[in-house]
Amino acid sequence: MSVILETSSAAMRRNFWRGVWRVMKRKPSRLVGAALMLGFVFMGVFGPMFYPDPLPRDPGQITRPPSWEHWLGTDDQGRDVIALVVTGSRYVLLAALVTAVITVVVGTGIGLFSGFKRGRWDTVLMRLTDMKLTIPGLPLLLVLSTVWKFSSAVQMGLVLGLLSWGGVARAVRSQTLSLRERGFIEAARGLGLSTSHIVGKELLPSMAPYIAMNVLIAITGGVYSQVGLFFLGVLPYESNNWGQMLNTAVFRSGALTVPSALGFLLGPLLAILLLTLAIVLVVDAMDEIFNPRLREE
Amino acid sequence: MITGTGVVKTFKQRGKVLGAREVQALRGVDFAIPKGGAASFIGESGCGKTTLGRIIAGLETYDAGEIVIDDVAMSPLKPKRRQPHFRKIQMIHQDPYSALNPTRTIYQTLYAPLSLRAGQTGRSSSWIEERAAEVLTLVGLDPGTVMSRYPHQLSGGMRQRVVIARALTVDPEMLVADEAVSMIDVSLRLGILALLKDLRERLGVSVLFITHDVATARYIGDDGELYVIYRGQVVERGPVDTVIADPVHPYTQALLSAIPVLHGLEQPGEQPVMPLETLDDSQADAGCLFARRCPFRGERCTSERPLLHVTEGVPQEHACFYPERRNVIARPMSEV
Amino acid sequence: MAKQAPGVRIDGLTVVYKTPAGELPAVRDVTLTLEPGTITGIVGESGSGKSTLALSLLNAVQPPGRIAAGSVDIDGLGDVVALRGENLRKARGKHVGYVFQAAQNSLNPLKTVGKQLLDLGRSHGVDDLRGLVREAKELLGRMGLDGARVLDSHQHELSGGMRQRVGIMLALVLNAHLVVLDEPTTALDMITQANILKIVREVHAERGLTTLVITHDIGVVAEVADRLAVMYGGRLVEQGPTRQVLGAPRHPYTRGLIKAIPRLVGDIAEAQALPGRPPTLVTVPKEGCVFRERCPLRMDVCDTVDPAALADGPRVVACHAVNVKEHA
Repeated sequence: MSVILETSSAAMRRNFWRGVWRVMKRKPSRLVGAALMLGFVFMGVFGPMFYPDPLPRDPGQITRPPSWEHWLGTDDQGRDVIALVVTGSRYVLLAALVTAVITVVVGTGIGLFSGFKRGRWDTVLMRLTDMKLTIPGLPLLLVLSTVWKFSSAVQMGLVLGLLSWGGVARAVRSQTLSLRERGFIEAARGLGLSTSHIVGKELLPSMAPYIAMNVLIAITGGVYSQVGLFFLGVLPYESNNWGQMLNTAVFRSGALTVPSALGFLLGPLLAILLLTLAIVLVVDAMDEIFNPRLREE
Repeated sequence: MITGTGVVKTFKQRGKVLGAREVQALRGVDFAIPKGGAASFIGESGCGKTTLGRIIAGLETYDAGEIVIDDVAMSPLKPKRRQPHFRKIQMIHQDPYSALNPTRTIYQTLYAPLSLRAGQTGRSSSWIEERAAEVLTLVGLDPGTVMSRYPHQLSGGMRQRVVIARALTVDPEMLVADEAVSMIDVSLRLGILALLKDLRERLGVSVLFITHDVATARYIGDDGELYVIYRGQVVERGPVDTVIADPVHPYTQALLSAIPVLHGLEQPGEQPVMPLETLDDSQADAGCLFARRCPFRGERCTSERPLLHVTEGVPQEHACFYPERRNVIARPMSEV
Repeated sequence: MAKQAPGVRIDGLTVVYKTPAGELPAVRDVTLTLEPGTITGIVGESGSGKSTLALSLLNAVQPPGRIAAGSVDIDGLGDVVALRGENLRKARGKHVGYVFQAAQNSLNPLKTVGKQLLDLGRSHGVDDLRGLVREAKELLGRMGLDGARVLDSHQHELSGGMRQRVGIMLALVLNAHLVVLDEPTTALDMITQANILKIVREVHAERGLTTLVITHDIGVVAEVADRLAVMYGGRLVEQGPTRQVLGAPRHPYTRGLIKAIPRLVGDIAEAQALPGRPPTLVTVPKEGCVFRERCPLRMDVCDTVDPAALADGPRVVACHAVNVKEHA
């Protein structure tokens, strides 16, 4: 008896991953999304290692359209656009990841606490959230950028994350409020189970698909805002990244009018598009992964 | 022994600053459920029976009156200190589908309260497994097949058994079953009722059964007491079979008359009581709460409110100025 | 009321649902006749296929389900299974009125009942909308409600019993003479239930309807129906005049079901739950009798041969054990 149950948690974990694989297999689009995402992770972690730093310049090939030698053309300094996209991905992806983690951790924490405690804490925290939600993000970022240079991706992610947890907090709170009325939460309280058990073991797993979905969506949000900031050119940059590429392509190389700079513009845009696509395709599977019924079927 | 005296609960309608309406859910209810005994609260939805059950299970507060659990009065205690007392009273919810966490297996569900218990009493983890298997066996499930399942892999009847097993993990003194069979397939309902009765007999757990279906109330034990509740007031109270066979309050009679008759198998009662229809019974009134719907109301009924009392020749308590026996229930053809 | 109560002949109806395990039958080879002007009650537990059967009357089975075989022949309408598109839409409401489960969620919470009534009228091309409203008020008045007030109300302002009456009104207002009530009293209190059942009986008689009541509660059928049909695992296992079936049930499932009803008098120990549990779409046996797993009369033949529904006067039973005895 005891042996069976001792191993059951390991077996359950195995079952979980087997279930995840089953869910992913159900639609080819999910596998495509997952593959793309893995590709981006690989690109962010190892990509820059494949290229010399700084990237070689080819003075004879300045702002060229796509060719066999340079698949997406070259930039205004004669560097390969693909190499730029790959080397620039680390900053963008790391910053986006930090943004997402902070958004979700802070948002979920505040939402859970607020919804579970209710009463005075709820009022205070939600007013705070409302206040935060009313602060327009972009102008604030512009102001912040005058004093802070965002030289590291972590700093960038930190600031973006602290600016964007409001929506998640509100949504998690309303989920918590509706879940706490459910029979199993009430039963847990009636049985005298601790608050940490109720929140950690009963509430959180029930919201897992929702939270996972928010992490993924927050990543795209993080990418968009930082690319936007760099594109506007309000931030000085030390290492190259996708936003800065767009900025240069549009404002310095005139990609909107000069066809030869089109590849330069398309490179980062394509990367953003593929990343968003990967996330959208994977988000679709979240509900099924975290719901035992949908996972097993 | 769990007793209540003069329990009052008022709900304020939230969100209205001006003219906030108050709803009197309970208007001074007395009850007493002995150790190992049985009681049933019956009445229509909104009569306050569920609120009372939740108060008894410690899931809701009360505004006035007193609840005493094993000689300890609850209201002088701080909420934190009440909890261990209320833990002796476990609620079985109506909906076995939402009462179990869909993301946790049956073993995980039972593990949480058992490990808490093991920690308090210094027992080993092997005790947890043994006890989990034991409570599942008690409710008539096979631990080997059920433990590693998720709730969605069980039928409604099995889920309700798991819910009862979970309640048993804390060795409760009383189970409060709120419409515990209404969402379960008809052919399986009696099994759950029989289980509750069986637990009473074997473990000495008392059972409080809350339902709008009087017939099911009998099945947790004929030694039980029936409380008929109307708009927050107990209007008739007595031994189950006495109240069912010889009801004296017109409301009880109406409830019993409304039970479908199995024509071909049963003969309907000769004096069925149909309550009058009213569209609005929200406003406060001085007289009997049932007067407006009562086909037999007298003059006294609209000016004075009858309280629960006994009269000569009537074995049960009732809240009616003009108690009268009426033959309302259907009887088997074979008996007539 | 020029129209007559229509008769309905369901013949060999099979409805299948597409699942990962292939197409599985929710209703299998059901033959049932609703005589004009009668109330028929279908009793079954969850997964018995009773609601699917009811939806078939309107040819309204939604994908992944489809009617795989059989016909539903309604007087004045023909075979509903063959109806398509606009003709089908018009038939619903005008010929067949459908009252949804206790009408809890079938009303639009954002619109008043009156507005929904007008929507219904317009979508069926009713010219005389005033007449429609008059008719609705009359029906509501007949059911003991203040028509004008109810038409002005939103769903949340009505109690469960009132919503159910509104549901019945909406099903009848276009002058349908075949009415299907799906779980008309589930989630209602006993007294409200008794009121609704009384209304169903009275309205049925006054308007000359053919009525089908779908429920899990034998008591409801016992109160209103002339004829009772019992479904289990997609099969119609027994049918006959209500009093006869209740008084002397033949199929072991019907017997068990009646025995499992808590009663007000008599020995508590006499009532007993059925062993086992009702089958789902996936667990229902592919061949042999659907009830054999829970059956006290199980024989060898039950494992392999699905018992045919044999008629004996007005009564029909599909059981090897019963039919063998009868014919021996």
